[in-house]
Amino acid sequence: MKKLSLILTAIFFTLFALSSSGWCWGKKKIIKIGINAPITGDIPKVGENTKNTAKMWLEDIEKAGGIEIAGKKYPVELVIEDNEAQAESAVKVNTKMITEDEVITVIGPQSSKQAIPAGGVADSYATPMISPWSTNPDTTKDRPYVFRGCFLDPFQGPMLANFVKEEFGFTKAAVLYDVASDYPKGLAEYFKQAWEKNNGEGSVVSYESFTTKDADFSSQLTKIINSGAEVLFVPQYYNEVALIVKQARELGWKKPILGSDSWGSSETITLCGSDCYGAFFSTHYASAGAEGITKEFIDRYKKKYSYVPDDVCALTWDSLKLAQKAIEALVEFSGDIKKDRENVKKNLAEIANFEGVTGNMSFTPDGDPVKCAIIVKISDAGEFRFYKSVCP
Amino acid sequence: MQPRYFATFYLNYKNMKRIIGFKKILGFFSAMPALGWLFGFFSAVIIEYLIGNNIAWLLGLPKIPVLFGFLIMLKKPLLIPGALAYIIIVYLLPLTLTARFFSGKINKLAAKLYKLPPPVYTVFYLIFLYIIIDIWAGMSDYRIVTLKLTFIAIILTLSLNVINGYMGEFSCSHTGFMALGAYFASTVTLILFTNDKLFGEALLPSYLAPFLFPIALIIGGIAAALGSLLVAIPSFRTRGDYLAIISLAFMFIVKSLIENLEVLGGARGMGGQHPLANLPTVFIWTILSIWIINNFVTSIIGKATNAVRDNETAANAMTINTRRTKIVTFMFAAFWAGVAGGLFAHVLCYVNPGTFGIKKLAEIFTMVYFGGLNSIVGSIIGAVAFNLASEALRPLELFKWIIIPVIMILIMIYRPTGLVAFKEFDIKKILAPKGDK
Repeated sequence: MKKLSLILTAIFFTLFALSSSGWCWGKKKIIKIGINAPITGDIPKVGENTKNTAKMWLEDIEKAGGIEIAGKKYPVELVIEDNEAQAESAVKVNTKMITEDEVITVIGPQSSKQAIPAGGVADSYATPMISPWSTNPDTTKDRPYVFRGCFLDPFQGPMLANFVKEEFGFTKAAVLYDVASDYPKGLAEYFKQAWEKNNGEGSVVSYESFTTKDADFSSQLTKIINSGAEVLFVPQYYNEVALIVKQARELGWKKPILGSDSWGSSETITLCGSDCYGAFFSTHYASAGAEGITKEFIDRYKKKYSYVPDDVCALTWDSLKLAQKAIEALVEFSGDIKKDRENVKKNLAEIANFEGVTGNMSFTPDGDPVKCAIIVKISDAGEFRFYKSVCP
Repeated sequence: MQPRYFATFYLNYKNMKRIIGFKKILGFFSAMPALGWLFGFFSAVIIEYLIGNNIAWLLGLPKIPVLFGFLIMLKKPLLIPGALAYIIIVYLLPLTLTARFFSGKINKLAAKLYKLPPPVYTVFYLIFLYIIIDIWAGMSDYRIVTLKLTFIAIILTLSLNVINGYMGEFSCSHTGFMALGAYFASTVTLILFTNDKLFGEALLPSYLAPFLFPIALIIGGIAAALGSLLVAIPSFRTRGDYLAIISLAFMFIVKSLIENLEVLGGARGMGGQHPLANLPTVFIWTILSIWIINNFVTSIIGKATNAVRDNETAANAMTINTRRTKIVTFMFAAFWAGVAGGLFAHVLCYVNPGTFGIKKLAEIFTMVYFGGLNSIVGSIIGAVAFNLASEALRPLELFKWIIIPVIMILIMIYRPTGLVAFKEFDIKKILAPKGDK
């Protein structure tokens, strides 16, 4: 019966020898980029989009033979980790990618709930991090190593208020938002402030709220309709948008509805259908009627994954390109990860007039981009049509 | 399975056991006292610390496998043999060798230690344990974060077990207590030590923070304990499903309250805490919680909680003040949940009300019912196993959420009360030397 133990040992060593392609002896220097994405949890679609975009980006890099630094090409590896849409998991994942995998920069997490604590981790390890989608000012505040790919709520809210004033000249607005979620709540406040500054105290005639996972909005909507408001602002995510807009139409709301960048998902139209046609919302880019590199990006993505990329995809793409640009601008790839990270951060902060699929941008000293927002009108075919571009 | 096949299968299994020498190995492992395990792990950790990198390099691994090789194996299947070899060389070999050759000597040493007063040798063991953990975690910050959150999970699981296991009430308010603790402790440390936009300038210099941190945690715990009265008092007249609903309501009340309190940052959360919960702090609080909770459940009031669970009317007839028992137990458990919340907030350096929702609650329930009701060891095993499994299976993404529930279902079918339920935790028995064989 000694045979069996011999066989087992033999199998073990054969496997060991066969695995040589996985060994890391004498391997070349690799550029590692971490992706911290919510692949499972509350917002899996966001995670899937992040992952798909990152893979498409890697394909490009591999086709080019790697990222070129000072005339030499280095292979790139993506470290994609799941943060389960939870704050503590995002912290664990960031710590792991930074200390174990030794990534040069981290892309993500997407929502502010995870990006704020994860940004703290990245900053304490002096590792550059770009959150493509987090709009909370705290993510980058006082954190020199943390950047973001999108505009902030303090810009978006007033921009929308001004747009309505210039476009329609309305003076009475209603707001319906989720009080338990930081993004809608913040945006609703900024919008209210700007609106009342434009039109005087009390011009937001109805300021109604609900709590996450509510499904019946009829009492709030009735109040809004009776208040005589001329426009309804709904800074909500796509699943709630569908419910709110449908119920509003059923109750007889015929005036314009205004949304925010969280409407930009392809799911909005799938869930909401014709009730959402004619609504306006602000976003990072418009998929219908796009031109230049934006169109190129959309066509490629659609061909590869057979659905239209939403703003998460576009912002993640731009964040990856920003990271790539900063890495390419290194004087040398020393392999000393601390030094390289420091230089990447310096390069990121210096990027000016970066041409991305979501428009041109430059970074402020806080790590926030200065870029234009786009107002989109949902067409009668359910497409997101470019309506107007608003720059800071 | 047909009996005949089963017989052959069983014989083969017996043969295999003889070939590999399982019986022999298991034999000398069973003669090893707790001190022996500590020595075994100590040598393993020392080996990893000194030459772990070299061994990893020789085996073709990029780095020391950080969580016993699970992550590497799942991410890069090609490296499985290398990772397995690493685990065998660095962990199993020293453990086996210690068990094989030093069991006798260590047993004698353990016997000598055992003659000292129990507090003395327990402290000695704890210090030894901490040294091992510190060296092991010191090799990677990822290990530190995982360990810290695991320790906090142990406190949470233990404290929920006091209500759900020992007292037999089904309380769903634990994340609410945790949120109260997290927010009160954070508020104290933010007011005292951080310049931030919520509370303005720091009142005290930040070098005092580590010394006053325990007080902040205790304030958090007391706040949670006071909050628990809202659940404890209705529990006089309601049991079972109805209490579950009341406690669930309490959890949502706390969550909505914080969401609507602009002073605390509302739904945007509260950030900027100093990272005060370092590994030794969390370790000490965990040991304290195990010690005090164990004393609580073995005390007279602990026995009273068991009596309330088994038959409230009979307990009342036996002169147990059931109301007092319920209030004290709820407040006690909530205190520890609050402390755990405070530690949690200072590990992440950010809290937000969304964290303390149903999802977190489900996690704590899983750990309690997986480990075992009415058992300290069970809670520790449940918390450690769940945290390690959830960390190790992360690379599987969606499949992780299939595997963990399946394990949970199997546990519920084969051991409905959990892995190690209804066991007394006796530190003397655990640390006793093993008899000579």
